[in-house]
Amino acid sequence: MSTHTGVCNFCGTGCGHLLEVGDGAVRGVFASPGHPVSRGRLCVRGWHIHELLATEDRIVAPQLPRACGRLDAVSYEEAIGAAAERLSRYSGDEIAFLASPRASNEDNYLMAKLARTVFRSPNIGLASDQGHADAADVLLEGAGIPAMLGALTEIRKAGLILVVGADIAKLNPIVGSEIHYAARGGAGLVTLSPRSTQIAKLSGTHLWTRPGTLRLALAAVAKVLVEHGWQDESFLRDRTEGFADFARYLSGLDLETLTSAAGLAPAEIEDLALRLSRAPSAMAFFSSGISGLDRASVALLFDLFLAAGKIGREGSGVNPITGICNIVGSYDVGASNLFLPGPRRAEGPAAGRTPRQLLAVSPSPLKALVVADRDEEIVRHADKIKGLECVVYVGAYDNPFVDFAHIVLPAASSAEADGTYTNAERRIQLNRRKVDPPAGVLPAWRIYADIAARLGASWAYTSSESVMGEIASAVPSYAGVTYAKLEKGHGLQWPCDARHADGTVRLDAGDAGRKLRFVAAGSDFPVPAASADFPFLLMAGKATYFWHRNNIMKKTQIPKREYNALLLLYPRGFVEIAPADAKTLGVRDRAPVNVVAAGGSMRVAVRISGDVKPGTVYVPYFIEDMVPGFLNAAGTSIDEDQDSTIPVRIEKV
Amino acid sequence: MYILPRNQVPALTAALAEDYDLYGPVLRPGGGDPMFERAADPAAIRMDAAISYNPPKSAVFPQAERILSYRYDRESREAVLVRDDLVRPKALVGIRACDLTGLLCLDRFYLGQEYVDEVYRDHRKKMFIVANTCVRPFPQCFCVCTDSGPAPREGFDVALTGVGDDYLFETGSEKGEALARKLGLKEAGPDAAALKAKTVDESIARFDAEATENKAWISRVMNRITMGFIGNDVWEYIGDQCFECGACSFVCPTCSCFNIEDVNTREGGTDRMRSWDSCSFEGYTRMAGDHNPRKPVEDRRNKRFFCKLSFSQSKKYLRPGCVGCGRCARVCPGDIGLPNVVTYIRREITKAGAK
Amino acid sequence: MSGSNAGAIVTVPEIAVIDEVREEIEDVRTFFFSFEKPEIAKSFRIKSGQFVMCTVFGAGEFAVSLPFSPEGDRPHLSVRQVGKVTRALHELKAGDKIGLRGPFGNGFPFEAIRGKNVIYVAGGIGLIPLRSSIVHVLQHRQDFGRILLIYGSKSSQELMYRDMIAKWQATEGFETYITIDRPEPGWKGQVGFVHTLVGPAKVPVENTIAFVCGPPLMFNSVIKELLAAGLKDDAIVSTLERHMKCGIGKCQHCAIGRTLVCTDGPVYTYRQITTLGEQI
Repeated sequence: MSTHTGVCNFCGTGCGHLLEVGDGAVRGVFASPGHPVSRGRLCVRGWHIHELLATEDRIVAPQLPRACGRLDAVSYEEAIGAAAERLSRYSGDEIAFLASPRASNEDNYLMAKLARTVFRSPNIGLASDQGHADAADVLLEGAGIPAMLGALTEIRKAGLILVVGADIAKLNPIVGSEIHYAARGGAGLVTLSPRSTQIAKLSGTHLWTRPGTLRLALAAVAKVLVEHGWQDESFLRDRTEGFADFARYLSGLDLETLTSAAGLAPAEIEDLALRLSRAPSAMAFFSSGISGLDRASVALLFDLFLAAGKIGREGSGVNPITGICNIVGSYDVGASNLFLPGPRRAEGPAAGRTPRQLLAVSPSPLKALVVADRDEEIVRHADKIKGLECVVYVGAYDNPFVDFAHIVLPAASSAEADGTYTNAERRIQLNRRKVDPPAGVLPAWRIYADIAARLGASWAYTSSESVMGEIASAVPSYAGVTYAKLEKGHGLQWPCDARHADGTVRLDAGDAGRKLRFVAAGSDFPVPAASADFPFLLMAGKATYFWHRNNIMKKTQIPKREYNALLLLYPRGFVEIAPADAKTLGVRDRAPVNVVAAGGSMRVAVRISGDVKPGTVYVPYFIEDMVPGFLNAAGTSIDEDQDSTIPVRIEKV
Repeated sequence: MYILPRNQVPALTAALAEDYDLYGPVLRPGGGDPMFERAADPAAIRMDAAISYNPPKSAVFPQAERILSYRYDRESREAVLVRDDLVRPKALVGIRACDLTGLLCLDRFYLGQEYVDEVYRDHRKKMFIVANTCVRPFPQCFCVCTDSGPAPREGFDVALTGVGDDYLFETGSEKGEALARKLGLKEAGPDAAALKAKTVDESIARFDAEATENKAWISRVMNRITMGFIGNDVWEYIGDQCFECGACSFVCPTCSCFNIEDVNTREGGTDRMRSWDSCSFEGYTRMAGDHNPRKPVEDRRNKRFFCKLSFSQSKKYLRPGCVGCGRCARVCPGDIGLPNVVTYIRREITKAGAK
Repeated sequence: MSGSNAGAIVTVPEIAVIDEVREEIEDVRTFFFSFEKPEIAKSFRIKSGQFVMCTVFGAGEFAVSLPFSPEGDRPHLSVRQVGKVTRALHELKAGDKIGLRGPFGNGFPFEAIRGKNVIYVAGGIGLIPLRSSIVHVLQHRQDFGRILLIYGSKSSQELMYRDMIAKWQATEGFETYITIDRPEPGWKGQVGFVHTLVGPAKVPVENTIAFVCGPPLMFNSVIKELLAAGLKDDAIVSTLERHMKCGIGKCQHCAIGRTLVCTDGPVYTYRQITTLGEQI
């Protein structure tokens, strides 16, 4: 048995771990005490990654359809040839690529290259990424870095930490842990959230907002800060531009309306503004996706912190947290239709559309789909995907999506191929191959290269390291990255270029090479409102074990058991209802109810919880009925996985 | 007692490597604490390394292993079960007193009580133990509070205590004597025992100044926990900080809970896997049919510390369930390792007493 | 501590053949079994109230009480399908094989209660574990005083052992009180919760032992009635259920406070239950 350093492949924290390998298989995992972010900790998922990596529930052979629509195992050559030949019949909007935010940078870079240069299609996307794209946009515009501006390794240096909306102790537990340790070390911890999450309970202050009003709360804090003259004048003068416009914008907002609509007291807003101003350093954390912040909210948060002088300094920063291990890297290497490698915004015809967007058009132009390691899309668009002419699935783990595929190509897992993954704090980390994949199974990047070769492209990659060589030339912030450098320590944070040979821990305002800029947030302050017909405001969110249909969690034992401890209690999902509301409705715990919105309904069980205030209810985003029957019907903002607040009524069944 | 010059440690590990799989503290590239793991190269074992980040218990209680496999053919109705042979000679070299105490707790628990745990027994057979006295504490240590160090008292074949350029090489068994002979060690002088005692006393004296991470004054709390006189609000306060990761159980030298799961293989057989489990988890006590007698996280925290510190639980180990190794404090995302929990409970007792 | 379980099958399950499958109430089936190896069949001695760990090949292992008398009673398991492994068991037919480890646990008192009056109070499928004691005690009827069975279910469809109960009702010296929760057309017997029959049964309280087994609500209300009637808390006995994995006191999933249900239990007096240190 030998142990090897590696990086956890679950969430965007990118904790270090040690994998134990014996008899050609992964046998165990331990927390890595030397890792600068995780410092010897892991969450329940990370502590059981060996169960996933050792599962036999794998796709082991390439498959093609034979008689009766069943798939048969065929040789790799035959399957690649078939994939190349069949896909080559499509172009433009007829074909789309769905990349995996869990795949390595090398895999995703070549998938994007395959899409754009061989198939001449800009339609490559991650699908559930609109939220992160918005955050990246704002930070790129305001600070020149389209990702976390601070660093996870500086959390304990922050004087004040503001957690906006995210149930971070459950989504990225080790980041939650760092925040908790910082608070125990004396940092102020404030949570701004419409629900009482674990981090809210651990915070000295929980500003309990009404659902869907985080934007209003942030605007109110900014207005109070500036009205009192609590902004950092010298910082603004030396490092920023656009403050005058921002101040003018704030003066046009009505503080009372904002505050009361957000469900907060004036004293709470003022207290936060003052503390933010006075703190020697401060960080803000939020997530993207269904419980995350939209563009305007991120802009307001950024502007607030900029005005307070809490960007570009040690222990400070505005920090979007990613829930899946390589969302950031996927953007960097161009696997999102919204960004080209860099990442830089894709404009005009270069900005493709995601499969979801193409399928939403009626009639849809999409005929062919290449999918890597996903399970979510079939929840949303099962019927439409069934109607496609050619679906090629590339993945390591057995997955219900395989039933929708015409060609299946097995890929190596993260323990079976060299690959780099970029965590939320821009840290590019290298995972070395530790065990052999099942016989004949190749890393995904090789599969894309082989398809490209069949179609006449001559890509000469000999290893994933050589793919990184090209990434380093195509992606400016990766310019100085080599595997040798990555292996010396615990990866490198980009930008890693001529000016930052050893990477960049965090944005340094003095080193930014440009002025930091206030980002326009718009005057749109929608307030979700309940009505007589729909008296409850429903919030949706994520939790520790739930990623879409949880395909990979189901391959484990202990995390699956923990998931089942909740799921089997509420097999069709649950809606959290405050005790007072449950009493009024006359429902007990686990009673079935219909949650009805203007566009659709879903049937779930009641879960009585003090974590929601009366008049508000919460559903975790994993219920089967929820997406097709409910969220899809409720409107496009949900479709883009934005912060979602839906007025509903609850009917006893 | 004998003398083993420090530079002879590689000879010791090489000699053991002839007959045993070697386990010991190994330094890792990339920094961080040493890990106690299987060493293919005897020279990789570093007696001078700090306390390992992981507990040595993995050598007798692996994180995940197959204990038997079976195949049942529903057509032919033929069932075949094969038990895995887990017996391998293992040498644990450089195990600290706290961890050795933990091992002895596991012995009493797994090999005593109503039944003998045959899987553990297989791992534990054919074992050679070289313990290493801690001549100074590490920042996380509190073995003096749990009477489990800094010097090992029993259970070893050899116990080393570093003095100057040498180790005092104390034998605890005939196997230990045989190794001394094999290595051709010089006998120690008549003052060796006194020298060892002095070294241990000096180590204990250093705890106040050097073992500063954890101040766990446990004995006052054990009684309280045993009698159940701790308010639920204390457990809720602790439970709020629990991230339900299981790490405290995984790193604890005395934790022995495991899960059994039958996992089907691609070729049609089934592996019965035994793996680490933790009472931290909600699913740990959940029954089919959904009744879960220990569901709230505060109840699970209560149970853990009851297990570690109450007098009635110490019956199964003949000593407290905590060995003062400090690992739970290092690995806990919520900063509620045992020492902090003891502090919170003491604070409660003090407040209650003041009323 | 439960005394000697010297012959127990500890680590590797022994193979048993399912001889017959019988439908009981909804979701409950009885599986008659016999060990493949004759020497195991011969040495498999149980006490009423013990349990086994049953392996359903390919699915997993679960704990299940042994409902047959230690003497001259056909070995079988009566199992409700409620989770992954029990659902897999229900797919098996006569001729299929299972694995068994055990018998484990302390068992119901038998020698210690000779000469006493015996009251059995059960609700729903709680009658299944008690069956082993009832049959055993009836096999030695002359050694015991009054014997009573107070049993009820939600509906008549959910009463276990209707045929056996009919026999028992016709047995001299066996007082039976059967009830269902709500009135039903065609049901001529008692209606009402189980605990309401304790009073009318005029249960003996001196030199008496009561066995109680059923869902938590029923259990609590029955205990209340029995204590009110004058029974002492160490004269009431029950069998506790917990999630189990090893069955031999090592994995600790079944721990309640100071005790491990698989080795110290699963049979406890009510006095013990109230001092375990944790809620059951």
